[in-house]
Amino acid sequence: MEQSAEELNKIEKKDLFTSGHRACGGCGQALAARLVADASGENTIACVATGCLEVFSSPYPDPSWRIPFLHSLFENAAAVASGVEAAYKALNKGPVNIIAQGGDGSTADIGFQCISGMFERGHNVLYVCYDNEAYMNTGVQRSSFTPLGARTSTTPMGNKTRKKNMPLLAADHGIPYVATATVDDFRDLQRKVKTALSIEGPKYIHILAPCPLGWGHHGELSVQICRLAKDTGIFPIYEIIHGKVSNVRKIPVKVPVEEYLKLQGRFKHLFKKGQPTPEVAEIQEIANQNIERFNL
Amino acid sequence: MGKILMKGNEAIGEAAIRAGCLNYFAYPITPQSEVAEYLSRRMPEVGGVFLQGESEVAVGYMLFGAAGCGARVLTTSSSPGISLMSEAISYISSAELPVVFVNIVRGGPGLGGILPSQADYFQATKGGGHGDYRLLVLAPSGVQEAVDMVMMAFPLAEKYRNPVMILGDGLIGQMMEPVEFSDHLKSEPSNKDDWATNGMDTRNRKERNLVKSLFLDAELLEEHNLVLKAKYDRMKQEEVRYEPYNLETDYRALVVSYGTMSRVCKTAIDNMKAEGIEVAMIRPQTLFPFPIDPIRAAAAKDGCQAAISIELSMGQMVEDVERSVQGKCPVHWHGKAGGEIPTPEEVVDVIKSLIK
Repeated sequence: MEQSAEELNKIEKKDLFTSGHRACGGCGQALAARLVADASGENTIACVATGCLEVFSSPYPDPSWRIPFLHSLFENAAAVASGVEAAYKALNKGPVNIIAQGGDGSTADIGFQCISGMFERGHNVLYVCYDNEAYMNTGVQRSSFTPLGARTSTTPMGNKTRKKNMPLLAADHGIPYVATATVDDFRDLQRKVKTALSIEGPKYIHILAPCPLGWGHHGELSVQICRLAKDTGIFPIYEIIHGKVSNVRKIPVKVPVEEYLKLQGRFKHLFKKGQPTPEVAEIQEIANQNIERFNL
Repeated sequence: MGKILMKGNEAIGEAAIRAGCLNYFAYPITPQSEVAEYLSRRMPEVGGVFLQGESEVAVGYMLFGAAGCGARVLTTSSSPGISLMSEAISYISSAELPVVFVNIVRGGPGLGGILPSQADYFQATKGGGHGDYRLLVLAPSGVQEAVDMVMMAFPLAEKYRNPVMILGDGLIGQMMEPVEFSDHLKSEPSNKDDWATNGMDTRNRKERNLVKSLFLDAELLEEHNLVLKAKYDRMKQEEVRYEPYNLETDYRALVVSYGTMSRVCKTAIDNMKAEGIEVAMIRPQTLFPFPIDPIRAAAAKDGCQAAISIELSMGQMVEDVERSVQGKCPVHWHGKAGGEIPTPEEVVDVIKSLIK
């Protein structure tokens, strides 16, 4: 459905994902889930993978969801959503927004196969990834989204590998819409959800969702950390519409990655007596590559 | 080294290193993630490998690959994770590779909960994956026994070239108890030439080792299954382990219980003894092979009015108790599956309601 620029840019507050859930203070994922639900509207079915979101928002008697909600397991939110979409087609019902949602593992690790299948078969489903860069629900173990250098409970010496680039992997399936977003810019995030839902076919939105517990920062810094992730070039903001990179967010004033890393306990070991270790230069290099690649 | 106080999951990790296992593959799942966290620290210290897979499916085949080249390998998981590994368990069993699995069981079905459970009894003892295979299943009732069983599991897996599963539960994984570790085992299986792939090295042997499970020819598959069956029959002869409790008395009922639940039953039995009521227990330490003959003999004793399977499930082991007792006395079941553990008082009331 075509929407006017005014409609797309309006911030939606419908309370379809209510307060009173059990997320930690400053949880990026809780904020993102609310923005996504409110942008999608009442005519939406949420298929949610196991993870923090499901655990803190679904327990009886105080679930937060005021839209239909299906929960399965880590690996299969995309498959469940494929089934929902196929059933709606077979029953000749709809139109309805079908949104599959998951975290790191559900998206990039155990769930990757089901997502790839959903993209390739061309289901009319929006997949939203809440990226908090580790398995937070089970106690902060590394995922393939864990960035270089970050300490987790299974990488006690710091992670040795680079983060998997899921938005580009999604785009390479040839799906019509891919976007990245962060939780500090409500208008941008909701505009992307609404844009995605107006397009027929598989869509993918990748949202950086800071986790105060796992990242080791104060809850009130979650929004600031998102801004720094963007302004350092660590997390580029863009859309890929029918294969073409568009609407890239330009960095107003470039910030060195140290400003981003220093706010977070998981990178503390990268600074010895205030001096950065060689890994910091490597992380700066990753940010520089992003800046060059997307012309940030 | 004397006794130290350790959490069950961490003690299992340490025991694996003492058992000479330097290859650990896993994926996090509550309530056993501490094993992975502990070994992510410890394995590099001893020159070992910890690989976190992208899923339990991947982990299952990392085990297949590593065991297939002769390494001593371990994974730990919890119920839903073991379900995902079940395909690999079937393939590993058919390829006759020694692998040790630890299942710190949580409540099910589905995602269930994260509290202790024994609801994976069927999955562990009767399959879970497809085909005619059996796991040798060890059931510890505390942290020390979990450590001892890890030490025991590797030589058993290698003796039979068969996967061994240690079936714990969330309580054993999460609680702390004093433990003592025995000496290190050697870090390489002595008989690995029997199964490890060695390419074209035919100088020292007549046949090459192929790690595989495909037998399209009916006769060959039949033959393969008979080889496996002979192993399982030998386990039934040689590996049955159980602990008798209060069996020397003139008991009026026989309890069959294992793992965490058996500890509560012991207290219940002690409390009833103080009241002048004798009740005996057989605690299976191997769930496959199951202690069929000892249970039958105990149930057949004069004065035994009932056999009661007490388990943290909706009645799984009771089927094996029934086929063991073979009608010598009535068989009953009592259990819970939500994650709560029956209290000694509850167990006493159940037993009293079944005897005169």
